[in-house]
Amino acid sequence: MSLLELKNVSKIYGELHALDDVSLKVEKGEWVSIMGPSGSGKSTMMNIIGCMDKPSLGEVLLDGVDISKENKKNLTTIRRDKIGLIFQQFHLVPYLTAVENVMLAQYYHSMPDEKEALEALERVGLADRAKHLPSQLSGGEQQRVCVARALINYPEIILADEPTGNLDEANEEIVVDLFHKLHSEGTTLIVVTHDPEVAEVAQRTLVLRSGKLHKEKINENFTGKIHFND
Amino acid sequence: MKKRRMFIRMITASLMRRRSRMVVALLSVAIGATILSGLVSIYYDVPRQMGAEFRNYGANMIFTASDGEMSLSDVEAAASKISDEQLVGLAPFRYENVRINDIPVVASGTVPEGVKATSPYWKVEGNWFTKSGELMVGANVAESFRIKAGDMIEVTYTPTEEDGTEAELDNSVFFTVTGIIETGGPEEDYIYMTLEDLATLTETDGRIDVAELSVSATSDELADYVSGISAGSAAVSASLVKRVTASEATVLTKLQALVLLVTIVVLALTMICVATTMTAVVAERRKEIGLRKAIGASDKSIIEEFMGEGMLLGLFGGILGSVLGYLFAQQVSLNVFSSSIVFRPLLVPITVIASIAVTGISSLMPIRSATEVDPALVLKGE
Ligand SMILES: Nc1ncnc2c1ncn2[C@@H]1O[C@H](COP(=O)(O)OP(=O)(O)OP(=O)(O)O)[C@@H](O)[C@H]1O
Ligand SMILES: [Mg+2]
Repeated sequence: MSLLELKNVSKIYGELHALDDVSLKVEKGEWVSIMGPSGSGKSTMMNIIGCMDKPSLGEVLLDGVDISKENKKNLTTIRRDKIGLIFQQFHLVPYLTAVENVMLAQYYHSMPDEKEALEALERVGLADRAKHLPSQLSGGEQQRVCVARALINYPEIILADEPTGNLDEANEEIVVDLFHKLHSEGTTLIVVTHDPEVAEVAQRTLVLRSGKLHKEKINENFTGKIHFND
Repeated sequence: MKKRRMFIRMITASLMRRRSRMVVALLSVAIGATILSGLVSIYYDVPRQMGAEFRNYGANMIFTASDGEMSLSDVEAAASKISDEQLVGLAPFRYENVRINDIPVVASGTVPEGVKATSPYWKVEGNWFTKSGELMVGANVAESFRIKAGDMIEVTYTPTEEDGTEAELDNSVFFTVTGIIETGGPEEDYIYMTLEDLATLTETDGRIDVAELSVSATSDELADYVSGISAGSAAVSASLVKRVTASEATVLTKLQALVLLVTIVVLALTMICVATTMTAVVAERRKEIGLRKAIGASDKSIIEEFMGEGMLLGLFGGILGSVLGYLFAQQVSLNVFSSSIVFRPLLVPITVIASIAVTGISSLMPIRSATEVDPALVLKGE
């Protein structure tokens, strides 16, 4: 059984089909990129997979559970237990320190554990920034805190919506390296990106166009390492 | 329990690190709590303060004739048992039926200085009478006879014969009306003149029906005076008077009702203020709420966190308010009653609990709207 399966999923806003009859499967431990022009439905799809929105039509099976039929409360539970989210804007709670932001995910999930949260920050190379507020961190550092927060509860699947959209190349490489580490530990990754260099690192790239699955590309020589072609 | 530690760490961080934002909210809670605890202090202290005021000025003892008649000298002899410092005023009254324009009216002979001391609440339009040939009329009398201050009126006295028929003799004297009395009491139905004029008019001398005294003394001392005078004088019987205490109570009830009303209004205003502030806080933090939900916060946790913040705010505001409230009540008391207020320790926890409850209740609606934030919408780039 696949970890994630979309069966004929559509999201319809009035006349607009933000997602139009999309079917796809993602296996456990896979690293998938999603590309496509602006407005093609990438974020819409991520919101549905991330249990923050429901499809208008079709089924979404996550770990065998049809999340398109669940109520809000159950969706929150599923999201908390199975999913780690990373966004383009480095969303952190502004008045909590880096380590407190990581602990927040533990708090909602089970038990806050400062030691474990510090270890997660160490993994993303921010051990010395643990006591800083988000406003005292650079964009790249903030995004690494988000990565630490996303991985703290060992989610089945990490969803990243343009995680490098606001980062320079150096930070982009750091974040992609982190993805590589997570992937090699068996975490499933779905990464939305506009950046072909980031997309090409993944094992598979899906391209959306006007809400439809336009094309699919397998990366034959997958290494999980980013190559800048300039 | 580590979860609770994180909870407390979170809500204190939210208040402490967003200080400039929360100062406004804290201020509105603190001001509300200040006024509340201040007014409650005053509410409870007013009876004490007002009691002192009234006892200092009003009549609180009366002399009546034990049997037969009492004369002015009996009254003065009895009053001399009270020390000069404690005797604030002595007003003897003699009542007779007289006529104005052939209509019966009660005339009272008295000593104006004494009445001024024992009944400071009398309102006189015009002037007090001071000497023979002058009188004051009650407001009701003035109205029925269309008398104004400055008018001359003729007062006649017709003595009653032994067999009940009216005597031939008519005594009549002209008086200048110096003022009209307004008291809201029976005084408005009487006319007042000097004891001497009433004696001249009736051609009988010396009888006193009742004397009102204002004595500044504790209730124990008053009781001692009353028994001492009644025992020591054959003609005079002293008793403590209830009339002033009754009017004192009415004024008190009205004052307390006013304070209560103001308290309720302030309470309502505080709640509106807190609700508005919390609504703004929630609106401002929509993004954060969405984020918290996205990383797994349930509606329950969101409510807990905002409630926690609101109640913490109520706690700080309540503590601040009970201190400021005491100072406020003290200031009011010093300015209005020229005496200091009693500190009531119980008022501190009451203010704090009330303040927490008020912030909690007024945060309910805004916090409900926080749970309605959709994580997907908030995170959609912006
Ligand atoms: N709540 C909504 N109501 C109406 N239309 C919506 C809503 N959310 C998204 N859309 C529309 O659905 C389409 C897909 O939006 P989506 O955010 O998925 O695009 P995207 O591929 O993520 O674009 P971008 O690369 O710019 O982030 C867009 O045309 C958008 O305007
Ligand atoms: Mg998008």
